[in-house]
Amino acid sequence: MKFSYNWLAEHIDGLTVPPAEIGKLITMKTAECEGVEAHGAHFEHVVVARVLTSEPIAGTHLAVTSVDTGRYGVKQVVCGAPNCRAGILTAYVPPGQLGVTTAKLRGVDSDGMLASAKELGISAEDEGIIEFAAGEPGAAIPGCTGDTIVEIDNKSLTHRPDLWGHHGMAREVAAIAGRPLKPIAVELPAGEPAVEIEIRDAKLCPRFSALRFENVTVQPSPLWLQQRLESVGLNPINNIVDVTNYLMAELAQPMHAYDAAKLQGGRIIVRVAEEGELCPALNGQTYTLDPGNLVIADAGGPVGIAGVIGGGPSAIGEGTTTILLEAANFHAASIRRASTKLKLRTDASMRFEKSQDPENTVRALARAKWLLEQVSPGIRLVGGLADVYYPLPAVAPISFDLVWMRRKLGKPDLTAAEVTAILTSLAFGVAEAEGRFTVTVPSWRATKDVSLKDDLVEEVGRMIGYGNLTPAPPLVPSVVPPLPPERTYLRGLRQLLTAQGYTEVYNYSFVNEAQAAELGLPIEDHVRVVNPIAQGQELLRTSLLPNIKRNINDNAREFESFRCFEIGREIHARGRELPEEIPHLAAVSFERHGDGAANLFELKRLAGTIAPGCTVEPAEARGFEHPNRAAIVILRNEAIGRLFEFHPSMVETGLAAVLDLDLTKVQALRTAAGKYQPLRRFPTSAFDVTVPVAERELAGNVLARLREGVGPLALDVRYLYDYKGDSGRSMSFRITLGAADRTLTGEEVTAVRSQVMSWMGL
Amino acid sequence: MIETQLSELAAATEARIAAVTTAEELEAIRVEVLGRKGRLAEVSKDMGKLSPEQRGVVGKLLNAAKQTLETALTARKTAFDEAALSARLEREWLDLTAPAAGAGLGSLHPLTQIQAEIEDLFVSLGFTVLDGPEVETEFNNFDALNIPPDHPARDMQDTFWLSNGHLLRTHTSPVQVRGMKKLGPPLRMIAPGRVFRNEEVDASHEHTFYQLEGMMVDKDVSVAHLIYFMKTLLSAIFKRDVTVRLRPGYFPFVEPGFELDIQCLICQGAGCPVCKQSGWVELLPCGLVHPNVLRLGGIDPEEYSGFAFGLGLTRLVMMRYAIDDIRQLQGGDLRFLTQFAF
Repeated sequence: MKFSYNWLAEHIDGLTVPPAEIGKLITMKTAECEGVEAHGAHFEHVVVARVLTSEPIAGTHLAVTSVDTGRYGVKQVVCGAPNCRAGILTAYVPPGQLGVTTAKLRGVDSDGMLASAKELGISAEDEGIIEFAAGEPGAAIPGCTGDTIVEIDNKSLTHRPDLWGHHGMAREVAAIAGRPLKPIAVELPAGEPAVEIEIRDAKLCPRFSALRFENVTVQPSPLWLQQRLESVGLNPINNIVDVTNYLMAELAQPMHAYDAAKLQGGRIIVRVAEEGELCPALNGQTYTLDPGNLVIADAGGPVGIAGVIGGGPSAIGEGTTTILLEAANFHAASIRRASTKLKLRTDASMRFEKSQDPENTVRALARAKWLLEQVSPGIRLVGGLADVYYPLPAVAPISFDLVWMRRKLGKPDLTAAEVTAILTSLAFGVAEAEGRFTVTVPSWRATKDVSLKDDLVEEVGRMIGYGNLTPAPPLVPSVVPPLPPERTYLRGLRQLLTAQGYTEVYNYSFVNEAQAAELGLPIEDHVRVVNPIAQGQELLRTSLLPNIKRNINDNAREFESFRCFEIGREIHARGRELPEEIPHLAAVSFERHGDGAANLFELKRLAGTIAPGCTVEPAEARGFEHPNRAAIVILRNEAIGRLFEFHPSMVETGLAAVLDLDLTKVQALRTAAGKYQPLRRFPTSAFDVTVPVAERELAGNVLARLREGVGPLALDVRYLYDYKGDSGRSMSFRITLGAADRTLTGEEVTAVRSQVMSWMGL
Repeated sequence: MIETQLSELAAATEARIAAVTTAEELEAIRVEVLGRKGRLAEVSKDMGKLSPEQRGVVGKLLNAAKQTLETALTARKTAFDEAALSARLEREWLDLTAPAAGAGLGSLHPLTQIQAEIEDLFVSLGFTVLDGPEVETEFNNFDALNIPPDHPARDMQDTFWLSNGHLLRTHTSPVQVRGMKKLGPPLRMIAPGRVFRNEEVDASHEHTFYQLEGMMVDKDVSVAHLIYFMKTLLSAIFKRDVTVRLRPGYFPFVEPGFELDIQCLICQGAGCPVCKQSGWVELLPCGLVHPNVLRLGGIDPEEYSGFAFGLGLTRLVMMRYAIDDIRQLQGGDLRFLTQFAF
């Protein structure tokens, strides 16, 4: 929202804060200022000038003119405007202003520029140079002055309906500067309402006020009005529409003017739209409505979408001679819903959705009457005010103690007089006795913004200035905070992985459908994003692998080999419930060359450091896995994850193996801290066994079979090596025996050995 | 007789010991002469046949010969061992400038690092660390934070809506509600985590980023406490004395609400491009917890008050390492990520 310094100053008695400082003051006390910039500084130098002669330059659309500029003398200026002709009064911009320089155009000297309204920053009019009906060469451009524009972040005005207009912001600045705010008159002549108003739903429309005028002249607004609208980002259109926009920017009250001759019947009805009802709007679009929209209707149907946009057919045009001027109040959330659904955010809807003050409608009409009389000479009010009002429930006066306020702010020396002065400057009604306050809230703060004593802490705090509070350490008990074991575990795991050479990556929680399909992840198992704005965000990941695969291919181009990991959450749909979020580890070992075994055994080794005692069991490969290199990782008889190599078709180059572990399971199953085991007192004995095996026999199976057959004296059975010779393949194992209470005899060891040999059929 | 034999044997053996060239020859001599069944042993076997006087004399000679030979043997053996060891050591020359095999140290993601650092700081101040889901209910993300449906404040956070009727949390603030219900007052908690905004991505905007929510609820928590606390904390994070200021900011779940600025660390407040010549850098939103939010967390706002704040971890990481493209953080490029191995 843009604020004009001049406009603000008009509402404050004796404002002395210089324009350059106003932004900072507003930022520190009210709302965030995003920028302060000069507007129209050139009006100090631009003058009214008379075109004395104008001769076309052959072969161009340009003309060379001689111009009487008064202040700067007679100048030769080249001008390309179609309306440039001898005799007219226009605007002359001397060199040095608006980027104008002394130049040669088509070989002709041009000393300055004749300007359009757009070039002057008065309006969007750029069809030709501006023309004045009267004036003296050398005079300033009438009604136009240099100004300073302060831009305030809209987000910081979300809770302040009153700050969507200059008068409201002027109240803040007045309070900050300690100057009085000039009141706005609310006087209207009495008279019979010139229109009948019917409100069908008082909740959706608490108030609808209107005035009727006749003998209207529709014409461009005076320059001061055009420039002012332009300076705050509103386009001047015609005097009637400009008045409604001016008041919206001044009082935050959106208004609408209808061509009264185009309204049917003598009654305005505010009602919800019928399903499928059409409303042709001012912007040339026709909107299809439903009962979620509120409309302003006449006997012929909707003439406007309430709080959003006016209707097209009844818009003010050149032939308009009578107008109906509306200032109404609408239910904020309904306007917001309607404008979101119509995808139509207007200056009006933006204000109404902030909960505007219903008291404001008549104030705006009174001010509009005063302004219309200036910009449309001869305009006459017909009858009196039409006004249907269902007042909102009043906000109860707010009570608090000075002591409470001091404690909330942490300002023990705060006085009752300070609190009273601040609240009064912001137009709150204050009654105070012995530190006990009763505060009434002005109507423009009562719609939603202020209803609790906590809201008043902000009013007092910001006006005192938070920099004037003395920082103080909070008095809190010393306690050892309870720390969730998951966090400690995950942090330790990350350290373990990086210590072993794995680098951590973060990937998005999103995958796209193609990624999911490529890994055979059923699309319907995913939670879907309803409103993605970019590709690749359709689904929430049910696996870390799609993005991990992308990491592999991205980095394979840069590195001969690498190790990386991600710890992130799989998100599994659970119907209408919140999905289940399962922390997973995906670790990658990649080599551009080699046979891939090193990758897989590296990750198997890694698994053993994360889940000591885990084993792997071959598993049927999924489509994206190497058909002969996929396994389940098992801990305490439960599957905790998977170890596999990506199918060669999935990686662009090299070989990539992945360890994918469910960390909730790993954490639940891993060994808890136990008691110390006394060390063995008696020596152990060991012997080796070599077992001939089939070509694709699994070491794990042979080991398991040996463990079954070794008997109670065996302390350890260990795989030693695999041997492939002329007589086929064999595996060697070492079996260690021992007893807790004695040294085993040679006979005992031999007996176990024989038993093992016969168990294995050797 | 036997004496002569003995002295001859001793002399001959001594000469042989002196003459050997290998440790094996030496060992053979030891076995032959000094072994259990060696020649000296044979001599001592014959001693039984001698008279007691002779036995004494020969016994002495025998011991002397044994000792002489053993000394000679040991000396030669030591020499051989030493020679063998130095030969081995010479052979074992190694080029230690050659590269080490195996993987080096991996690196933790910079966000993990900064998060851990800040968590530790808070834990040392008695805060507990909580976690919340990435997918949240609309109620927890908005309504419970005093942002009812159709509230214009919902525009401040472009939301990813989900097919199951829920949403991707737009801030870590929903953990406030979870934390209050779980811990009860008084409490001190932080909740770091991943949050989502439905925005176009470019070098300075991301749809996925990291925040850290903090909350302290106790009797008599004031704005002055908040200022002190944030100054202390931020000085610890930036490892230097930080000047902070509060100004009004609107966030529906706090009242009053603030934007906290820190004096620009680059120019010390003099004005520079980083702070857009203002001398201040907007750092975090904070405020006193709104009574409605306390109430929804099961806490009586008449008895307790609290402050809350939201720290942008992604922003801190970018500031600390001067990262100019936010997309690097979730780009998975190891050329970027391996720079953080320390």
